[in-house]
Amino acid sequence: MHESTRSFRLGVAGPVGTGKSSLIAMVCRELAGELQLGVITNDIYTDEDARLLRSAGVLAPERIRAVETGACPHTAIRDDVTPNLLAVEDLERDFAPLDVVLVESGGDNLTATFSPALVDAQIFVLDVAGGGDVARKGGPGIARADLLVVNKTDLAPYVGVDVVQMVADAEAARGGKPVLALSRSDAESVALLKKWVLEMTAVVRSGRHTPVDPGPMAPHSHVGDDGELITHTHAHPHDQTHAGVEVDTDRVVQAHAHSH
Amino acid sequence: MGTNPELVALMLADARLPTGGHTQSAGLEPAVLAGLGADGNKLGEIEEYARDRSRTVTRVEAGAAVVARYFALSGLELTPVERAWAARTPSQALRAASRRQGRAYLRLAGRVWPGVLEHLPGDGEIARPVVVGVVGAVTGLSAVQTARLIGYEDAQTVVAASLKLLPVDPVDAACWLTALHPEIEELADAVRGLTGPGEIPACGAPLVDVFGQKHAAERMRLFHA
Repeated sequence: MHESTRSFRLGVAGPVGTGKSSLIAMVCRELAGELQLGVITNDIYTDEDARLLRSAGVLAPERIRAVETGACPHTAIRDDVTPNLLAVEDLERDFAPLDVVLVESGGDNLTATFSPALVDAQIFVLDVAGGGDVARKGGPGIARADLLVVNKTDLAPYVGVDVVQMVADAEAARGGKPVLALSRSDAESVALLKKWVLEMTAVVRSGRHTPVDPGPMAPHSHVGDDGELITHTHAHPHDQTHAGVEVDTDRVVQAHAHSH
Repeated sequence: MGTNPELVALMLADARLPTGGHTQSAGLEPAVLAGLGADGNKLGEIEEYARDRSRTVTRVEAGAAVVARYFALSGLELTPVERAWAARTPSQALRAASRRQGRAYLRLAGRVWPGVLEHLPGDGEIARPVVVGVVGAVTGLSAVQTARLIGYEDAQTVVAASLKLLPVDPVDAACWLTALHPEIEELADAVRGLTGPGEIPACGAPLVDVFGQKHAAERMRLFHA
């Protein structure tokens, strides 16, 4: 693979029905004029998501390809990423040079995150309809994905979820990593998603980003030698600088570079 | 290089080796869609299907792997072996699926057993049995170990995929696989001595090809092939 044809590979993970395909369609719709894009889908039955995205008309159909997962969606994005890597490389070769390849995971559970061998960065998608307490429960994707999206905020009044509280819970679980409350009917939030993708693309291109593995392990607690309760994770330490979107509890958002 | 060939064979037979094996059903999915297993009422057909493959298409695969191993050890160019395999694999869809798998193996082998790249290009789309044969040559697998690996892998792929496709008790699946051992040994013994592309068995299973072709156009599929 020639280095110049290497794209920014962006994973989109999250439980079934939280809006991963719709988010990818949104990114394509917003950015297809500015960036050269490709999409790889992983689904239970081959190409359901790929067909949905093709029919959305946001990207040339041949730039959207499906990978079979053999009913093992978590394996396909984590334990054995080979088929996905081949698909990404084929897209990069066939449509060179691509700026971003979006890789959508098959809808799995809260523990399914991408291997850094497959993607440079990842978005984890939750939605308010899945329950306001999901963000608080945590998990590797919620705690350590590069961006956490709380989707479908427009539905919050109908499902009795306090979005501000859900975002606050998510931020507490993420130690400063960005959270974005998103609704397709909220143009401001869509603009912020677009901004994050553009900034992340720039950071990855500049070589200043090291992929971080959210890991399969949720934060957990045990009692230390001195009897003190210790809560910790096994995430890799990371000290690189990268751009992020920070969201405060009333969803006034500013994008800036920060280090940690 | 200090590697025990038996350990290499175990690695290659292990589904946890990252070669995309979870996307493969050795043609079982299209066969099930066509009625094999009768929605769970004739589960014994799974073992019979694996046995039929062992006597037909898998014999071609194992023969190609053994000859590829011999060619690599002899410093010969491998194109004639791949060509002989292709001539014995009528379905374009199945040839493409095998070559895609071969590419996955090459991606792995390029880093794990770099000697393979002296024989094949790291990004090549080359039939899986040819790649496995070259890996065998580089890592010291014998001809019979190479053939046995191909035979075992095919049967295990069928049996493992059956757990995803039909109401199968995993222990029954292991029993079928064990019952296939003599078949696999017979296969390995039959092809172990082959050295020329023209000697690769040419026994086909037309329905496997027909199903393979249909599956490539199937929308609702779990497995690539």
